[in-house]
Parts: sequence; structure tokens; C-alpha cells
Amino acid sequence: MKVFIDPPNSLILFDIVERFGHEPLSAMAAIQEKIDNLEIDMPPMNVTLDDVVRGLKYAGVEVPSGIRGRMAMWGPMIEEADAAIIMDNAPYSFGCVGCERSNEMLKYLIKKRGIPKLHVAYPSNEEEAKNFVVSAKEFLEGLGK
Amino acid sequence: MSDERETRLLMISPSSMLTPDQLVRSVHAMNKDVKVKETCYGCLVEGRREVVKEVLDQIRGKYRNEVFSKRRAYPAGDPRRCRAQHGTRPGYSQLEAEWALLSNVQHGLECADRGEKVEPVPEKGLLPVREFKKICEE
Repeated sequence: MKVFIDPPNSLILFDIVERFGHEPLSAMAAIQEKIDNLEIDMPPMNVTLDDVVRGLKYAGVEVPSGIRGRMAMWGPMIEEADAAIIMDNAPYSFGCVGCERSNEMLKYLIKKRGIPKLHVAYPSNEEEAKNFVVSAKEFLEGLGK
Repeated sequence: MSDERETRLLMISPSSMLTPDQLVRSVHAMNKDVKVKETCYGCLVEGRREVVKEVLDQIRGKYRNEVFSKRRAYPAGDPRRCRAQHGTRPGYSQLEAEWALLSNVQHGLECADRGEKVEPVPEKGLLPVREFKKICEE
């Protein structure tokens, strides 16, 4: 099954989802599309009108463009996902209007889709890491049953 | 999605005795048609998707909870990201933060392999007004 991970570029979540037999949906796959199928290799000129139109589905014209651009990349992945794992309070998941509002929008879209989801707290010690891994394992093994 | 190329980042846990050199030699010894680039945290493996998957499965079999991997969008040595060619490295801070966490995750995976269970954390409900008043008065 396809499992969306949040943060979308997390090494730990990507590895754990794959280790327990599912396909992680991550930012890296979406960015590789841009790199391998490039028409114009000159950022930001490689952001085409198609991306803007795709982003409009998730965020209106009054929303800052950073959010729309990010949702153009992540929105289709959420639509494709069968489940999601979200890591709460990760210290590297912070930001200003663009990043933070995009992160909140991601969580809202996942909730709106109604797919099975698991919220895990960012682990800061061994005990919390054990809780994190074991609960992720139980969630992933329970998918599709 | 590109089916031809897959680049994988293999990162070694800080509590492992494995070195990037040993990891690269293990990958080379598999004699698969992949490019390997040694890095400070492990290595990058690049090749056709199915071949890289075979390499990853063998690495996971050999170093089960010591090596973590994720997909990398940019090819190995891409000038837009390669440090030697003065590329920008926007994802490096996050990689560094996640690397610091890998020892704990390794411990978690070992506990999961042993079949240990955890107590589910009770969900925090809304605080009743009476409780809130009591806290304010104390």
C-alpha cells in the first residue's frame, strides 16, 4: 500500500515504511520527476503553468505562492495515498508562512481524505523511539487487513 | 515517474561499528551494475531501479538495523548539489538532525524485532471547566 509520510522528505519515516513492506510517498519522487523530465533546467523557470494550475486545486489565488507551489507537489501524493504517518513536533519542521502553513495544510488534507493515519511524536530518547517504532510497525502491519 | 534511474542514500547509524568504507566495499563486492559514491554518512548507490532494490535488500539483510536508506532525487555527483562543485545542500541540516536520532531508532527497531509491545498513549481530552477552576484557585 502507498503510505504518505510527513515530513515528506524524512529519512527515518521513509525507511520504516519501506522496511515493513509498503511504498512510501515522499517529496524525493516528486522532485525526481522535475529533474529527469525537465523541459527547462533553470530554476525557478522549471516551474511551469501546469504546476500553478495543479496547486490552485489545493490553495486559492489569495494564498501565498509558496504554499501553492508546495501543494502542487504534495497534493497529488496525498490523493494517491492509502494511509499516512505523521511525525508531530519534529524540530526541523518549522518555518515561516510558506513552510508552516503548508505543513498545516498537509495535515488538513490528510484528515479530509479520511485515510488511516498514525500520529507519532518526535522521539527524544530511547523509550520514546521504541514507542515510535513499535506503534509504526503495528500500524503498517495492520494496513490492508 | 522515471523508471530508469534510482539513487539511494544509505546512512549508517552513529551507534554502529560499520564505516562508510566497509559499506562501500560490501556494495562493490556484490558485483552489481551500480555506481557507488562514498560519503561521510554512508554512501550513495545509483543504478536501475530493480538492481538498486537488490543491493538494498542485501544490505538490509547483512546490516539489518544499522543502515537506513531513502531515495534521493538528484543523481550522485550532480553539480547542483555536489559539495565539490560548490552546489547548494539544502537538505543537509535535516539529514544531520535525523542522523542524531538514528541510534534511538536502531534501539526501537531491535525492540520491535524482539516482539516487545508498548502501552498505547491515552489521548488527551478536553479539560473540564471545574478542573480548570480548581487549578486556577490552587
